[in-house]
Amino acid sequence: MKSRALTPWLLVSPATLLFLGLVVLPLILTVILSFHVYDHSTGIKDGFTVAHYVRVLTDDYYLTIFWRTLRLAALTTLICVLIGAPEAYVLSRMGDPWRSIFLLVIIGPLLVSVVVRAFGWSMLLGSTGLLNQTLRALGLDPVRLLYTETAIVIALVHVMLPFMVIPVWTALQKLDPAVEAAAWSLGASRFTALRRVVLPQVSLGMLSGSLIVFGLSASAFAIPGLLGGRRLKMAATLVYDEYMSELNWPLGAAIAIIVLAANLVIMLGYNRLVETRARRALG
Amino acid sequence: MAFLTLQSLSKAFGDFTAVRDVDLSVAKGEFVSLLGPSGCGKTTTLQMIAGLVEPTKGTITLDGRDITHEKPNRRGLGIVFQSYALFPHMTVADNVAFGLEMRKIGKAERERRVKEILGLVHLAPFAERYPRQLSGGQRQRVAIARALVIEPPVLLLDEPLSNLDAKLREEMQFELRRIQRSVGTTTIMVTHDQAEALSISDRVVVMEQGRMTQIDAPYRLYERPATAFISSFVGKMNRIDAVWRGGRAEAAGLALPSEAASLSEGVAAHVAVRPEKIVLGAPGQGLFDGTVSSRFFLGSYWLFNVETPVGTVIVSLPNQGAEPVAEGATVSLRWQPESAAVIAAGAAA
Repeated sequence: MKSRALTPWLLVSPATLLFLGLVVLPLILTVILSFHVYDHSTGIKDGFTVAHYVRVLTDDYYLTIFWRTLRLAALTTLICVLIGAPEAYVLSRMGDPWRSIFLLVIIGPLLVSVVVRAFGWSMLLGSTGLLNQTLRALGLDPVRLLYTETAIVIALVHVMLPFMVIPVWTALQKLDPAVEAAAWSLGASRFTALRRVVLPQVSLGMLSGSLIVFGLSASAFAIPGLLGGRRLKMAATLVYDEYMSELNWPLGAAIAIIVLAANLVIMLGYNRLVETRARRALG
Repeated sequence: MAFLTLQSLSKAFGDFTAVRDVDLSVAKGEFVSLLGPSGCGKTTTLQMIAGLVEPTKGTITLDGRDITHEKPNRRGLGIVFQSYALFPHMTVADNVAFGLEMRKIGKAERERRVKEILGLVHLAPFAERYPRQLSGGQRQRVAIARALVIEPPVLLLDEPLSNLDAKLREEMQFELRRIQRSVGTTTIMVTHDQAEALSISDRVVVMEQGRMTQIDAPYRLYERPATAFISSFVGKMNRIDAVWRGGRAEAAGLALPSEAASLSEGVAAHVAVRPEKIVLGAPGQGLFDGTVSSRFFLGSYWLFNVETPVGTVIVSLPNQGAEPVAEGATVSLRWQPESAAVIAAGAAA
């Protein structure tokens, strides 16, 4: 009797240990670190302080970076929805050899390191890059894209798109194709059928895709680091600088905790808002 | 006067011809079934009428108007899909109202008509439910209501009962017929179930390998199947291998009574007799004797397998409330000449 009651606990123990050791423990250490005193000449000292949090939350420098992170992550999510949802729809309507090929094309970028891809974009968008060379060859003025927010968003959308396409595609797979035909037969145009019948049913897929894309974009490191340059920092690059350049680990930890908390609040809030609406209809 | 006409309608998918030169006229208010095994082209034919599949050749005319190349949302036909294809995120009332909304019909009028049609299919108390909260039979009726509320000139049913269990299917057959009768909509149903096609249609169209092989009233189809395929597909049928000799069918040295047939001397043929047309009697009193090898009680009737010199013959007898002949008993078999058709063995096998 007793051993049977233990079975479920034993079964989940490997995953629990992994989670505790690799996620919870470092997180607790980071929280503790963020309350340590830091001195520029002597480094980290024992003693409790909230000074780092106060500094981050009151200094315009940090707030600008947080605001930029939020803005770019939201913009990336929006663009991913606008491109990814139609892309998934087209994909789901494709015939057999092509569907597999294009699915591979969409997932393909995930097989290449994000650093390599970021360098690729910087070669394309740089002042002497392919794009500007083409513009010059056509007799047009070159554009400054590298080290701008535009470059960061372009590259983030490129990286994040599969995370939007796949959940929406999965939702579309569950859709009965006759449902769309039923809407047509009742007099709905193709567009109306998409808007009134298909879209509401894939909204949960779009929601989960948005959550993944937003979360990953807000904590993206390599792309803002390589395409935003030294000036255009985002949250993750800011944390990196505090740790590696300023050596102010407690401040870096405080920023990391704030970003985590903000990310959690935004995602949970969004999830609740959309999911309750979608669940009511779809169950 | 034909209301819906199909003229040499064909559909090819690459090298494969799914539907070949189908000609059909349906009168207003008629209930026509397309019957055939899977892959015979019946669903493709329905989808061409619905506008979901573009015909390769031929024309579709509805009430004098050529609709061959019209888009499905402009045809205004009511379609009930095999999977019902209800909108899962809408209530029953919203599902039914969708077609009216697309026709820009005012809210008050819309509500009145939704209420009326839900009453007709006995679903009024379920208007605010979602499809997932309904049983299979209820979903089916929502699909019918949704297709009928737009008052379509033609109602198309694609295997409407195939997802229901046997008992419910029988109930829904009568229900479907009742609804169709009360609204009088011209209806075309696709089915592979011969009992379904025979019980509710005015006319049945039998399809084989993309062609129409017989168009007839259910009763005539059953009694006078045009091909050997139809005789075996529709109802149970004994097919006794025989040879046409001297103007009659002979099997195992016995002359079998049958209808006259114009076959050439010595041709191999089948004598087709329905199990219920055979009369059992005491040994030696019929055409030939046989031994009952097995019998099955099916409630309203008995089914016997009788071993005879001409092969195994199936005989069915209505249940008269008394125990019929036992297994192993010897019986005689006979039938009236008009109950047996002779079909050349090679013809449309």
